[in-house]
Amino acid sequence: MSYQSASGRLVAWVTFMVALVLQIMPLPAELEAWRPDWVLITLICWTMRLPLRYSIFTGFILGVVLDVLLGATIGIRALGFSICIYLVLMYQQRLMNFPRWQQSLVVFAIVALYQLLVYWLEFILGVRTFSVDLFYPAISSFVIWRWAYWVIRSIAHKYRVT
Amino acid sequence: MKPIFVRGISPQTRLLVAVVLSIILIVANPYLVPFRAALSGLLTPFQYLASLPNLVLNYSVEALATREMLQKQNQQLLDQQLLMSERLQRFEHLRQENQRLRTLLKSPVRMNTRMKVAEVIEVANDPAHEYVVLNQGQDDGVFVGQPVIDGQGVVGQVVQASPYTSRVLLLSDSTHAIPVRVTRNDVRMVVNGTGELDQLELKFVAKSTDVRVGDLLVTSGLGHRFPEGYPVARVVSVNKDDGQKYAQVTAEPLAALDRIRYVLLIWPNDDKSTQVDSKEVTP
Repeated sequence: MSYQSASGRLVAWVTFMVALVLQIMPLPAELEAWRPDWVLITLICWTMRLPLRYSIFTGFILGVVLDVLLGATIGIRALGFSICIYLVLMYQQRLMNFPRWQQSLVVFAIVALYQLLVYWLEFILGVRTFSVDLFYPAISSFVIWRWAYWVIRSIAHKYRVT
Repeated sequence: MKPIFVRGISPQTRLLVAVVLSIILIVANPYLVPFRAALSGLLTPFQYLASLPNLVLNYSVEALATREMLQKQNQQLLDQQLLMSERLQRFEHLRQENQRLRTLLKSPVRMNTRMKVAEVIEVANDPAHEYVVLNQGQDDGVFVGQPVIDGQGVVGQVVQASPYTSRVLLLSDSTHAIPVRVTRNDVRMVVNGTGELDQLELKFVAKSTDVRVGDLLVTSGLGHRFPEGYPVARVVSVNKDDGQKYAQVTAEPLAALDRIRYVLLIWPNDDKSTQVDSKEVTP
């Protein structure tokens, strides 16, 4: 049993690492602004499935790592992830019972909130100016959610991560 | 679903701890430079992994190149090399002449600067900022504030250096500014980034300033960061609107910021500017 849970933990962290790589992967300039928030989507998936294991602190750690990878001010994304994951945690039971399209809407709102938080913090620090591009990731995350959740669920089933 | 372990900490407390920690981190950022360098050193494999698809693509483009393509490219490069070597001959002559004149004027003689080629392993993955990551880091002598150029002009400056990689802020980033002068008449200006890769702006240019479309802007060396004389941008539009306080001048960077693959790192402080003794003067 302990073996299973250990490998389960590893599997989840592997998906987080894949999400991090996808998040920093170079994209053609036209698609750049439309990159879905892979890390946040993965985090939401795991928090919905295993809220007791992956929640606010996981988000915090991944936020710090992402900040370092993106060369941003350390702590910005940590704060954004923490707050967004807290919201997911609060409504986890309800979210799990939502139909997929309704979940997508919630994900859209959460990603938009996250982008706003990051924008707001960077604006306070004076390293960012406003542009509407801000909300493109929310739209692409909305579109991608169904499949992302399906992938994470299949992985969770296959490796019996419970 | 069964709880794996039940901890007494409520989500609210966790959120509070995470938020407080984040705010502490954000405030303490200036002191976190060693921590950031160490962590990004650890995370270097991620950056290489992320750049893998691009590398494969570039490699396959090279591997699939046909004989004619290579021959054509080779011919182009040979032509270019011939042109360059002709210019180099003239340059050498001018350099010697310049050095002689400088010694006559007893001003410091400029020596060659040390340079190193670096490869771009990652481009901005955050649309709000203009960065590239290079495959050279502190271990190769890279330092924060180091100027970076390419074949055509200034690219930007190093803002973070980890042991194996370094992050370069492009001059098109909206937080970047670089002191320049116009080659035609030595007027001093400051070039700001706009966040657009192909557009720079010159702020606070008085309407009476003599600046025209097509003017070449080179580094003035006044910021003590970029050495003097590297080309930066060319003026593409000058708008002297009566309703505005200043002239609106935009310029286009000379460096190909949208498709840089190899850049040059410069060590300007290796340049030993020495006051030459009067007895060395050759009339």
